Amino acid sequence: MASALSESRISTEHIPVKLVIAGPFGVGKTTLVDALSEIKPLNTEEVLTQAGTLVDDLTGVNEKTTTTTAIDFGRLTMPGVVLYLFGAPGQTRFQVLWNELVRGALGVLVLADTRRIDDSFAVLDLVESAGLRYAVAVNHFPDSPDYPPDALRQALDLHASTPLVVCDARDPVSARASLIALVEHIKELVLS
Amino acid sequence: MTSGRQRRRVVPDYMAAARLTVPENVHVERTTLVYIAPDAATNGLDPPGSHLLTLLRDGPLSVYECAAHLGLPYCVVRLLVAGLVGSGTLLTRDPPATDLPDIEILELVLSGLRAL
Repeated sequence: MASALSESRISTEHIPVKLVIAGPFGVGKTTLVDALSEIKPLNTEEVLTQAGTLVDDLTGVNEKTTTTTAIDFGRLTMPGVVLYLFGAPGQTRFQVLWNELVRGALGVLVLADTRRIDDSFAVLDLVESAGLRYAVAVNHFPDSPDYPPDALRQALDLHASTPLVVCDARDPVSARASLIALVEHIKELVLS
Repeated sequence: MTSGRQRRRVVPDYMAAARLTVPENVHVERTTLVYIAPDAATNGLDPPGSHLLTLLRDGPLSVYECAAHLGLPYCVVRLLVAGLVGSGTLLTRDPPATDLPDIEILELVLSGLRAL
């Protein structure tokens, strides 16, 4: 699939749009973005200022006054639109970067891992406090316990209208289905 | 002598945006699409600027992709692009406002995702 798309060219007629993939460390953001992206993963440096320097160990690099992080980035060129996917780190120390990444995003797909559901709370707080449109996708790992959707909703304290889907971030079809669920939800919110 | 603890670029990042007049209000962000203005004068630019133009010869790219291809931090490329937009060399296509997304755009995204 990715190879057929890799020739896609953007034209000046394309409208750039953005979705953010959020979630705690190790939840599968990179995997999901890579499964969907038509371009090979790109690395750019994001300069983190004060917030990160307090936490990141800079011992021995005294000249270093800032610290950088790589964020996941993917692209899907479609008729009329070019969709950019950004993986956003969920740690609160990335708040400044987070605010910048979600600005102008159509919505956020929050990835959760049922083996450590608590890790998703910080991200859900960020998303909800910013008033962002979002859906939750539970990334199913081979050793993930199976919980009924209602139990997951309750555990994550989700509003009844917030979509909750189970996905396999490695599988492009499954990853795509979670994005479709998110965009359908955004559409409903806009129409309501 | 350098300490060797840290690898530095030969040319510091901030030099990439040097000698450019950067507009006071920079309306360029990660997903802004950038392309070469049809009547742009493309010579006489500093190396980062001419690398950027070479990159854009095949068509528009987002600022973020430009940064990745140039191997420069996004914040530097953002200013580089803003400067070249100010001088009329580059044109941009801005991402739409998302306070209330356009239904037609959402439909395009949905049909695009379904067609993958």
